[in-house]
Formats: sequence, structure tokens, C-alpha cells
Amino acid sequence: MINKILRYTVIYLVLLLLQVLIFNNIQFSGYINPYVYILFLLLLPYETPGWILLLVSFLGGLIIDLFTGTPGMHAAATLAAAFVRPYILISISPREGYKAETELTAAVYGFRWFVIYTLGMVFIHHLVLFYLEVFRLNDFFRTLARVILSSSFTAIIILMLEYLRKGR
Amino acid sequence: MRNLLQFLAKHNRLIVFILLEGVAFYLIFTSNNYHNTQLVKGIRSSTLAWESIINDLTNYFRIKKLNDQLHTENTELRNTLAKITAKSKDTLSTIIFSTTEEPQYEFIAAEVVNNSVNRQKNFFTVNAGTRKGVNVNMGVISPDGVAGIIISTGKNYSVAISLINLDFRLSAKIKSNDYFGSLSWDGSNYRYAILNDIPQHVFLNKGDTIITTGYSAIFPAGIMVGTISDFEKSGSEFYRIKVKLATDFKKLSNIYLIKNNRSQEQLSIEKAFQ
Repeated sequence: MINKILRYTVIYLVLLLLQVLIFNNIQFSGYINPYVYILFLLLLPYETPGWILLLVSFLGGLIIDLFTGTPGMHAAATLAAAFVRPYILISISPREGYKAETELTAAVYGFRWFVIYTLGMVFIHHLVLFYLEVFRLNDFFRTLARVILSSSFTAIIILMLEYLRKGR
Repeated sequence: MRNLLQFLAKHNRLIVFILLEGVAFYLIFTSNNYHNTQLVKGIRSSTLAWESIINDLTNYFRIKKLNDQLHTENTELRNTLAKITAKSKDTLSTIIFSTTEEPQYEFIAAEVVNNSVNRQKNFFTVNAGTRKGVNVNMGVISPDGVAGIIISTGKNYSVAISLINLDFRLSAKIKSNDYFGSLSWDGSNYRYAILNDIPQHVFLNKGDTIITTGYSAIFPAGIMVGTISDFEKSGSEFYRIKVKLATDFKKLSNIYLIKNNRSQEQLSIEKAFQ
């Protein structure tokens, strides 16, 4: 148990560093801002109790907020993604269900499953985040374009990170 | 307490979700001015130290470029100084005038320690605060041009709203013909901003210089903003002018804060008429 907590803490810290040092500085033409730290939420085990999932995601988002100077925004977005996570998992559950004590990764449940899972979660997160950031509706379609482009980009990076992590 | 939480959560994940989301929204709304929450202020000071270290590191890699920039700026200043001294020799009155009167604008040099260009509402932090005489509503310029306006001050640090922020408005004019309009950022590319309210009978050229008007008591008149890169007619009356910004916000490092010694006077008179 302690081992597991330690392991996820390390994963979170690495993602935090990557986000603050690298991905916060990436910007293509004002449309693509990847928020890759959301990967920590994807990896938490299936059997994690709902309230722990919510609390952890809230805190995780809040720490990112402190580094980017946007109090509450990332916390709200990550929390929304954590809330939707069980529904996404149920709707795409594999035929034999989820195994306990396994990570929710491509290695266990297949590449196609992981892509759909990642895209769904990242899209929800970016949707909430970008609309909260702009906080107006008169640029509705431009923001939607940003959400879609950034989500795809974030998903690609997450898939690459997963590949690197497993490729070791 | 833990049992209660566990009970609530097991039977109603929704409650925890709504509670936490409430906290998050509370934070978003109470920190409209970005830095006002005491909580964030407290923790920011610890992350700022960390940001200073990152900033020092990145500055080290750009040291040559910064040096060149300072060098060119120095030569320009020398030239203007030479011009002024040559002029003031002409008449005794100008010397007396310039020494007895307090200058309208003073500059405070500072460095940017935290900056972003990838958000819709960008801010940057500078390493000068009330101890150096920084106040809210002071203009910030880079050696290249306008950069932002101070919106919150601490003892040693201040936060400025960046020109590339959806909420930023700047009164700017075309240098060649003095027509003025409102400059704002459209949220897409951090190198370009949009100048509105220029009537369509005005003759425009690509490459025309855009400068500040000095109407706002924040920036002096004539500070570089950018150059016209493109323009199109919007509606039947005005142009929508795309301005290439002189300041590259990704490289923002050495900056000057502008203190307007007469802003109080201007604002109080303007207020009396409203």
C-alpha cells in the first residue's frame, strides 16, 4: 500500500516537473497548449475509492495551479475529469471486466482501449479548463477548436510517454 | 470524521465532487485579480524562489543576446543625451527649467521572473515591489516596446497584466498620421495584436509604426507598440488592423517600470469632470 502511494507520488512529481518546465512553454499558434499532467489521473488503479480519486485529483490540480498562477482553474478541470472517469471506464469496459491490482494501461487492456480512454478523459479536462480560462462565450468556436486540437496533442504526448515508460 | 467522510463518499460521490468543485470555483472567483487571495499569496512566495532559480538558469543561456540588447539601448540613450545637452546649451532658460521641475516620468529597472505566453490571460511577475516604489497601474515596457501594466504589488515582487491578455486594452495611434484606436489581443498568436477603431478613410501602409498615445496617464506618448502587418475592413466604418508587436513576450527579461509623477493630478482633474 505504502509502496503504491510512493509510486504514484513519484509519477505525479515527474509529470509536474515535465508540465511546469516543458509543456507550459509549448505553444503553437495560440491553439495548442498541452496539459500532460492529467496522465496521473488516468493511471490511478480502477479500485481507487471515489472520494480518494476526487480528493487526489483536486489536490493534483491545485498544485499545478500554484505553479501556473491560476488558482482553482486546473483543480476544477481535473476534478471534473475525475468525476467522469468511472462513467468513461464503465462505458468502454473490456469484455472480461477490469482486473483488480492492475494499472489502467495499454499493456493490460490493449492499445485501442487506452487511446479511447485517454482521448475521453483529456477532452473533458481540456473542455472545462479552456472554457474556465476564457470565461466568456463569444469566442465559443475558437475555444472549441483549441479544446479539440490541444486534446489531440496532449493525447499523443501521453501515448508517447506511456510507450517510453513501458519500453524500459 | 473519517468515517463520516467515507460514508458520505461511498454513498454519494456527488457530494464530495460538488464540495470540492465549490472550493475550486470560490478560488477562481475570489482571485479575479489573480493574486488577491491570501492563501495563494503565501504559497506563491515559496514557488517564486523556485521560479527565480529557473529564471536565472534560462537567463544564463541568453546572456549574449541580452548583452547585445543592452548595448544597442545604451547607444541610443547616449545619442539622445548628446542631443539634449547640445540643445540645452542654446538657452539658459531650458537648463533652469529642467533642473527646477520634477520630471514627469521616472523609470525603474527590473527583471521578469515569471512569465507566460500560452494562456488566454497572461500575466508576468517582476522582481521589484513597493520597496522600490512600484505602484499599481504603473506601465511596464521592454527595451523593444510596451509590455504590460502592474496590477498587484508585494514588497519585493509585483504582478503585471501582460499585453497578451484578453482583458488588456491600450490606447494606441498610428505614428504617421496620429489617428488613434484601441489595441487588444485576440488570444491567438502572441506576436500579434489587433488595433480597432481606426476609421476607413485613413490611408494605411503595411509596416506603419504604432505607438502609445499617452492619454491614459500610464504610458508616456510615443512608446513603440509594433508595426502594421495586415489590415482589413471590419463593418462599414472601421479597420481591423493586425499589429506585429515590437515586444517578443517569449523573451521578456529586462524591463522598465514607468512612474508617472503627475498621474494623480491628471486623474483627479479628469474625475472632477465626470
